[in-house]
Amino acid sequence: MSKRLLGLILVLPALAVIVLLFLVPLAASVVGAFVADGRYGLANFEKAFALYTQDIIFTVVIVSFSTFIIGALSTAIAGYLTLGENPRAVAILRWLYRWPMFIPFIVVGQVLRTFLAKNGLMNNMLIGAGLITPMQASGMLDWRGIVIAFVWKQTPFVTLLLAGAMASLDRGTIEAARNLGASRLRILLEIVLPQVATTLVVGLILSFVTMMSVLSVPLMINAQSPTMITADIAFRINAYGDYGVANALGLISLGVTACVAWIYLRQTMKERA
Amino acid sequence: MNDEAFLDIAGVSAGYGRTPVLKGLDLSIRKGEFVALLGSSGCGKTTLLRAIAGFVQPSGGAISVAGRNVTNLPPDKRGMALVFQSYALWPHMTVAQNIGYGLKLQRKPRGEIAGRVDEMEALLGLSGLGARKPGELSGGQRQRVALGRALAIDPQILLLDEPLSNLDARIRLQVRHEIRSLQQRLGITAVHVTHDREEAMVMADRIVIMNAGRIAQQGTPEEVYNRPASSFVAAFMGAENRLVLTGHAEASRFGILEGSDNAGCLVPLDGRPLASGSVEARFRAEAVELLPAKSRENPSEAVLELAGRVVTVSYPGGLWRHAIKVGTAEILVDAPRAFSPGEAVKVRIPHQVLFLFNSREASPPPKPVSRSGVESRFLEVSEA
Repeated sequence: MSKRLLGLILVLPALAVIVLLFLVPLAASVVGAFVADGRYGLANFEKAFALYTQDIIFTVVIVSFSTFIIGALSTAIAGYLTLGENPRAVAILRWLYRWPMFIPFIVVGQVLRTFLAKNGLMNNMLIGAGLITPMQASGMLDWRGIVIAFVWKQTPFVTLLLAGAMASLDRGTIEAARNLGASRLRILLEIVLPQVATTLVVGLILSFVTMMSVLSVPLMINAQSPTMITADIAFRINAYGDYGVANALGLISLGVTACVAWIYLRQTMKERA
Repeated sequence: MNDEAFLDIAGVSAGYGRTPVLKGLDLSIRKGEFVALLGSSGCGKTTLLRAIAGFVQPSGGAISVAGRNVTNLPPDKRGMALVFQSYALWPHMTVAQNIGYGLKLQRKPRGEIAGRVDEMEALLGLSGLGARKPGELSGGQRQRVALGRALAIDPQILLLDEPLSNLDARIRLQVRHEIRSLQQRLGITAVHVTHDREEAMVMADRIVIMNAGRIAQQGTPEEVYNRPASSFVAAFMGAENRLVLTGHAEASRFGILEGSDNAGCLVPLDGRPLASGSVEARFRAEAVELLPAKSRENPSEAVLELAGRVVTVSYPGGLWRHAIKVGTAEILVDAPRAFSPGEAVKVRIPHQVLFLFNSREASPPPKPVSRSGVESRFLEVSEA
C-alpha cells in the first residue's frame, strides 16, 4: 500500500465527519433556499424580503451598533489594563471583566429581562433612589435591551483578545511616547490602538458573527416586531414548517457575515502587500 | 557635591517590589559631559537610567537637573529624552512622523515640525527616508531614527539605554563614533548605559562602573583602566589574571615576598592604601612579558617575576595567547612569538600594570584594634 493511500485513509474519518455533518447539511440548506413548491426559483427570497425586510435591516443595524459599542468599551477596558497606573484598580478590573464570558446567552437574556422590564429591578432601584417617579418608568425590553445584552456578553471576549495583544506590545513604544509628553488617552489612541488594530478587527468580526446567530436573546427580550432574523427563522420552522423561507433567511444572514469577513480579508491583504 | 553639577543624583535608592537594586547612589554629571554607566547585567545601571528618566520612582534620594528637583516630575517634564535598547519606534508611523511626534505633542505649527524633521534627517543621514515605515529600514537606520526622535525635542539630557547592542558588530563601531561626535557637536549632556567596556572607553568622558547597585569606581577611561580601585574593577576592565601573594608595606613601597612560584620584588605604593599581608594581584594578558625560563637577562627592580609552564597556545590574532600554569593557578599571557606547550617560562609583570589589592573590595581599611585575629582570618578566607 502506498504511503499516500495510507495518509488518505488516516484522514478519512475526520474528513467524513466534516462532509457528512457540515458540508452536506449546508449544501442542503443552500439548495433548499432556492426550492419552493418543488421548483427551483427565487420565490423563497421574494417571500423573505416581502415579510422580513424590516427585520433584516433591524438585525444589521442592531448588530453593527452593538459591535461599535463593544469596540469602544473593550478598547477602554484593555487600554486601562495596559496603561492604568493604579495597580489595585487594574487588578480588580482584570478579575472582574471576564465574568460575562462564562454566562450563556440564554441566561444573559433571562437576567436582563428581569432587570430591564418596566417593573423590573432597574426601574425599582431608580424609583427607590428617587431618581424617577413610577410614572416615568419605562421598560427597555426592545432594541435597547438586545444591544445591552450583546454588549454585556461580547465585550469581555474582545477585551480579552485586545488586552493580550496590548500586553505583548514592546513597552518601550509606550514609554517613548510618555517620555515625549503624550497623555494616556493619546498613547492609547495614537500609539497602542494602531498597533493592535488587526486584533481588534478580528475580535469585532467574530463578535459580529456570533451576535448574528444568537436566537435566545431576541426571543427573551424582544419577541415582537421588528425582531432579529434568527427569531424569524425559528418562527418559520416552528410555526409553519416552512424550511424554504427559513433557508433563504439563513442565506441572507450568511451574506451579511460574508460581507464583514470580506472587509476583513481585504484589509489584511492590503497590509501584507 | 559639585558646583557645576548639572544632573545631580543624591542618595538614590530604588528597587522592584522588595528587591533593592540601587542602594543610596550618588552621582554628579556636568553639563555637556558624556557619562557611561558600565556594568554587567543586574548591576542596576538600567534601573539608574530609568530612575533618571522618570520611569522608576526612587524609594529614597533625589534627582535634580540644574538645581531643580525633578524626582517627582513625570518623564516628559524633566527635559530628557530616552533612546531605548529596542529603539521602540512606532511601526505604524513613518520615519518623519516618528521624529516629529514629540513636536506634535508640543503643538508646534506644522511647518516648524516639518522643518525640524528635515533638519534631523539631514543631521542623521536619513534624508529621503522620511516616508518609509520603520519596518523598511536597516538596524542602523532604525537606531538613527530613534536618536532623531529623541533629539528633535531638543532635550537638555540624552539618555541612551544600550542603544548599540542590537546592531551588527561592524555597524556598532561606526555608530559609536557617530553618536559621540553628534553629542560633542550639540554639546548635549549624555548618559549612556552599556555592558561593553570598549564602547564605554571610546565614547565617554567619564566611566561609572557599577556593581550590585553601587558605584564601584568612576573616572576618565584612562583612570579606570590604569588605576582600578578594586579587584572587581580591575577584573571588569580586563585584568582577569589573578594570583594571591604575600607582602609588606613600607613607607612608599610594597615588598612582595618571594613565594614558591614568584621572586620577591619591591614596587612603588604610588598612593595605594595597601596593608601588609595577603594581597590579590591582577594583570592583563597583553601587559606582561613572556621569556624562556633559562633567560639570563635580569629583571629591573620593580618587576614581579613568576615561574610557570605553558599549558596551551592559541592564536587569536596579533599576539600568541598562552595559558600558563603558575603553581596551582592558571593565567593567560600574550607574547609576540609562540612558546610550545610544556615549556618552562618566566612571566614578568612591570609594576605599572600590576594591580594589587588587599582582599575583596568589601574589606574595611585595617584598623588598629586589639582583635587582630578577625583581620587575619578575613585575609585567609579571601585567599582560599
